[in-house]
Amino acid sequence: MEHLTFWGHFGVWVAAFLTLGIYSFLYRDNPWYKFTEAVFIGISAGYWVVVLFFDNFYGKFWVGRGEEPMLWIGAILGLMMLMRLVPKIGWIARWPLAFIVGATSGLWMMNYLTSNAMSQVQSTIMPLFGEGFGASFGEIIGNLIIIVGTFTGLIYFFFSKEHKGAFGATARVGIWGLMITFGAMFGYTVMSRMSLLIGRVDFIFRDWLGLIQ
Amino acid sequence: MKTRTIEMIVLALLVISSVWAYVGKINGWHHGFVFSSSVSLVIMILLALSLVWILIRTLQDKLVGRRIVFLYIGVALSLPLFMSIDQPIKVSDEVRGVYQGLVDLQPGSKVLISFDYDPASAPELQPMAEAILGECIERDLDMIVLGLWPMGPQQATMALDSVMSRMGLTEQDVVYGEDFVNLGYQAGGEFVIQRMGSSFESMFKSDFRGTPYQDLPIIKNVKNFSNIDYSVNLSAGFPGTVEWVQVGVDRFGIKLGAGNTAVQAPTVYPYMGTLEKPGQLVGLMGGMSGAAEIEKLTNLKGKATLFMLSQSFAHVIVIAFIIIGNVAYFRGGRKSKLKGE
Amino acid sequence: MSPRRSTTGARPPVLCSCLLIPLVFFFLFLTNSASLAQGETEVVDTTATTPLAPVTSLLAQDFKYDDGDKLMLTWVPSIDDIPVTGRVTAYEVYQICNNGEPHRIAELLPEVSTFRVEELHRDSSYQFYVLALAEDASAQSVVTAAITPEQEWLKWNWLNLMVMTIVVCGAVMVFIKTATKGRKLFVRKIAGLEAVDEAIGRATEMGRPILYIPGINDMDDVQTLASLTILGHVAEQVANYDIKIRMPVARSLVMTAARETIKAGYQTAGRPDAYTDDMVSYITDEQFGYVAAVNGIMVREKPATVFLLGAFFAESLILAETGNSVGAIQIAGTARPAQLPFFIAACDFTLIGEELFAASAYLSDEPKALGSLKGQDVGKGIAMAAIIIGVTLTTLATLTGAEWMSSATELIRSWFVVTD
Repeated sequence: MEHLTFWGHFGVWVAAFLTLGIYSFLYRDNPWYKFTEAVFIGISAGYWVVVLFFDNFYGKFWVGRGEEPMLWIGAILGLMMLMRLVPKIGWIARWPLAFIVGATSGLWMMNYLTSNAMSQVQSTIMPLFGEGFGASFGEIIGNLIIIVGTFTGLIYFFFSKEHKGAFGATARVGIWGLMITFGAMFGYTVMSRMSLLIGRVDFIFRDWLGLIQ
Repeated sequence: MKTRTIEMIVLALLVISSVWAYVGKINGWHHGFVFSSSVSLVIMILLALSLVWILIRTLQDKLVGRRIVFLYIGVALSLPLFMSIDQPIKVSDEVRGVYQGLVDLQPGSKVLISFDYDPASAPELQPMAEAILGECIERDLDMIVLGLWPMGPQQATMALDSVMSRMGLTEQDVVYGEDFVNLGYQAGGEFVIQRMGSSFESMFKSDFRGTPYQDLPIIKNVKNFSNIDYSVNLSAGFPGTVEWVQVGVDRFGIKLGAGNTAVQAPTVYPYMGTLEKPGQLVGLMGGMSGAAEIEKLTNLKGKATLFMLSQSFAHVIVIAFIIIGNVAYFRGGRKSKLKGE
Repeated sequence: MSPRRSTTGARPPVLCSCLLIPLVFFFLFLTNSASLAQGETEVVDTTATTPLAPVTSLLAQDFKYDDGDKLMLTWVPSIDDIPVTGRVTAYEVYQICNNGEPHRIAELLPEVSTFRVEELHRDSSYQFYVLALAEDASAQSVVTAAITPEQEWLKWNWLNLMVMTIVVCGAVMVFIKTATKGRKLFVRKIAGLEAVDEAIGRATEMGRPILYIPGINDMDDVQTLASLTILGHVAEQVANYDIKIRMPVARSLVMTAARETIKAGYQTAGRPDAYTDDMVSYITDEQFGYVAAVNGIMVREKPATVFLLGAFFAESLILAETGNSVGAIQIAGTARPAQLPFFIAACDFTLIGEELFAASAYLSDEPKALGSLKGQDVGKGIAMAAIIIGVTLTTLATLTGAEWMSSATELIRSWFVVTD
């Protein structure tokens, strides 16, 4: 850090200034935060314009326009999207929108059906006691949680029947399972957030102020 | 004294002390600080006592504000960075699975690493990236890197530079184009993976530096996933591990190990198998603890190992405040406060 | 005696032999070691010149269920291809197209025994051979018989997937048809849905705006679509009660679609003049940049009601917590499981996972949405039945050892396996 140029020092100070500006929101909304927020939004919007222009329009279409005729279809759809700017023919923009929604639905349907539905059902069909009674007590409990959790969870998300009687009771087990899962997830997320904060605190104390040995 | 005056004084003090610390660092007036074990212990005891005091006040219906919670978290995260205590790290089977995927490879095998994150998630994922790249170098594996997030390829370059300097290697040891290639960012999320299933070159006409695909010895014979021996995905969201599993694993049968932010890890867990029955993922590194574990396995101790103590401290504080919060809730203090609003 | 004498008399020759024998032995040893060394060198030379064993049983077959552009090569690796000590360093695959010149198409690592040849043409015939490579030798396999790739119209190994798709999609279509005919389809009451109207009413009473966040994903995410369907209902109510609605978005396409939706809502309510494009504003694609802006809006405008419906990521808690801190009533819903805990903790009502889609179907009362929901229930029913029957059978098979039960389990399980 000692060998930094003027702009190097300036960069570190700007990074520290903006980091602390964002964290100052924890105290209360203030001009420092507002300034940082505006800088962040402006820079990120500009950054995305550049990324999308160079990666999509230039990198994909302009460079490959001669080799792949299919790219022209994309370009035409993109142009149709811009028709929104002309109110009289703004309706044309709905066509490319319909294309995006249709194409992605088709792709996602197969992916979700295989990965999130069929593979998961296949994995849940397991003997409670393990293959050849090979499971330990802990594993049996684990298997039971997976089987009961998946089944009751599905019951909870079954919308064609009112949650009453035995069906309702099973759905309630399902929602308990979900809540326990959410609790575990909460823990994981707390861990994640702390990691991000540690990264910034480390920057402040080590890279900026040099207080950590 | 008015609140505004106090705020201005605190701000001025912060600015002065920051300038002093920075100038001191530049001129060598100080070289940082480290707490001895006994000082660390005293700090821990003081923190614990103050939490007990907050609990007692809560029992007396005197609730602490949210700013106090923020302050405690800040202190709990910062102080351990100055402590000289090592935290033992136990390696889980999930992380071992990712590592084993690398161990099983022969020298010269091709490893595809997708960097699907940006600097915001770097504290968790960058240590994983460095450990994985370091192990690939150690085992003489060919590293093919790409990003489905715009900033991914830059993260990859930073990770490689960092791990090479830590291992004392130069560009002659890890030759670009022969041992390592950065294909850059490609927009399109899961569609990119889908297209890569038939041809890598159709998605990446050139690498990050603009070198045409066929001019890069490491990949010129790589047509699609069938030429890849192992894949690792480091992801912070969408597109990420879920998409790699759904398209890469389920459609094209790639062998995939994943590194995720802790937020994402529970969503990805269902893709893990068991010892008897392999799942869609061979292994999973979750959050900073996953990063610390892979650092332990690869013997490349880095920031994740260093940050684990802060992480644990913060967790203890969070648990303490959950208890305090629940005490307050069940005593009805918070309820009446809310009604009063 | 004579012998003794003679022996004694023969002292000089004895001395000679004493010197000679070791010398002979020494030379013999030298000769031997030389010949041994020579022999060792010869052994190495012998190995080097020993022909390398080629791969055997090389077979080119049509790759099943493709567009007629792939062939599958399989072979038994060379017997010199042994891990660690093996001589084979690589395999090269050569292709001969229409009896032309061979050209190399791939270089593979040792121990590899299959290769998928791609980008072929249905009107050409192909032959292949594999060259095993060592440091100092190479060995060519036999050349395969000429083969032409064939095209298949259907991917029969995905039959199960096709059946499942037909069943689920068929059910969706049947239910849509039923709903279109005007028959009422039953969908259970979703807790939190009544809260939507209550929340709008609260905003009216307080005279403060409604903030609607549709998540940060684009229009290709089904959650965003569901969110926009609910927005249609909300917009109608907003127009009826003449409340201010504010909708910052992170995607330009979502901005376009949201404007259309709100406009339609205002038209339905009979107040198209009250609609303005300013109700929906694009902020930035950058996740945390968007969050910073929405946080600012919440703190400054203090909305009475906040809707957080759509795909959310790391920003969920930040948004929900800020909304909570300004005292807004919050209705959240997402199908991202990782974000649900925060919504449950910080919001007043949460639509969990598929409830978001169910809510959009329920509110819109559209045959398509209702039919989809009911159709998906059929899929869930199949999954539940498979799990219950499968787990029972496989557990009983473990207990009783009955062969038929194991076979039945495998049959059920195989219906859910999708391989390429």
